[in-house]
Amino acid sequence: MRSFGGYVWADSPLHRAPAAAKLAGLVAGAVLVLAVRGPITLAVVLVAIAALGTVSRVGWRCLIAPLWGMRWFLLVIVALNALLFSSEEPLFSLGPLHLTVPGIERGLWIAARTCLVVVLGAMLTATTTPQQVVDGVRDLLRPLARLGVPTETVALAVGVTAQFVPTLLRESQQLMRAQELRCGGFAARGIMRRAVSYVRLLVPVFVCAVRRADELSRAMEARGYRVDGQRGTTRERGRS
Amino acid sequence: MRQVKRVVVAAACAALGIVLPMAFHALPGAGNVWLPMHIPVMICGLVAGPVAGAATGVLAPVLSSLLTGMPAAPILPSMTCELVAYGLVSGLLARFVRTGRLAADLYVSLVGAMIVGRLVGGALQALIFSQGAYSLAAWVSGYFVTGAPGIVLQLVVVVPIVAALERAGLVDARYPGKE
Repeated sequence: MRSFGGYVWADSPLHRAPAAAKLAGLVAGAVLVLAVRGPITLAVVLVAIAALGTVSRVGWRCLIAPLWGMRWFLLVIVALNALLFSSEEPLFSLGPLHLTVPGIERGLWIAARTCLVVVLGAMLTATTTPQQVVDGVRDLLRPLARLGVPTETVALAVGVTAQFVPTLLRESQQLMRAQELRCGGFAARGIMRRAVSYVRLLVPVFVCAVRRADELSRAMEARGYRVDGQRGTTRERGRS
Repeated sequence: MRQVKRVVVAAACAALGIVLPMAFHALPGAGNVWLPMHIPVMICGLVAGPVAGAATGVLAPVLSSLLTGMPAAPILPSMTCELVAYGLVSGLLARFVRTGRLAADLYVSLVGAMIVGRLVGGALQALIFSQGAYSLAAWVSGYFVTGAPGIVLQLVVVVPIVAALERAGLVDARYPGKE
């Protein structure tokens, strides 16, 4: 299972930057990465991300760790594009599959863009606590409150989601280890056997996640939190 | 279900919608084949209602795309619309379908959501996202052939998971006092 970058304690300009600015920056960065067309713009984006990574002081290992878990996904993306994108001037053909240079280029571009977005996402989670994410989402959505959008509820949902991801990853890994000890399976050779092992894991993972959600909602209600926002927000209560 | 719990369950399901694809991507090409993000969205709709299901359908792909790069941004809009349809329809059907048997209710709601979600996804592809370059064959291939293992997986695991949540007392029982 892929590791997922949690918050990394450090004192850097990125850690001190407002969460709303970082969230907006992540969206803008993702759009920019998608807009990259040529090698020069790619180099510019790479330099910018490298500079941000250095400034963040969280360590490159933390920022690129998620990419290792995506290796099969990236490989499949490159392979599918290389074999299916075009049929003109193939380097190699086998039935409907045609290995072409434009296909390889397209696959590599998509994989490179995906990697860059992943590194940006890891940079956000490494430099921003879940509470800061909630506050940032709330700040970004504040103008929509005038239109009747329940921004407090949306911010709460985003914050709890961000908080649950590393927790559920950790618990899933513990359940996988427990299952591995009991009956093996995750390290088994063969895609189907490994898939069956993952399927067996689903019920305990869901029960675990909803149990945590139940406990958290009870704790929030005990502290007077209400979804309509009449009894105070998570930010106000966190500071009280 | 209490309103705060509804929001937190939707968030927990959205988190699972990020975590499960990360786990399944250890298998080559698993995302398109096993459809791991669909499962928490449908379960959220079934246990927490249509609004929570739809919210999970937005949160899971958008946050996953921002944090992990998957789904890739070009397919994010169509996938989000499809997942919203799954969450919304599963929640609506779970609310209105009452056969007197838990498993029957859940299977009707689940299969209904799976069909409507795929119809919505195909219609959006044909009319908006891949206008003029989308065919019935591509729809059947993309939504039914490639994802056949994922369809089977959803039919096998979603109902037992919801039943397990009910048995554990973590969600409201559909038929209280009836085992």
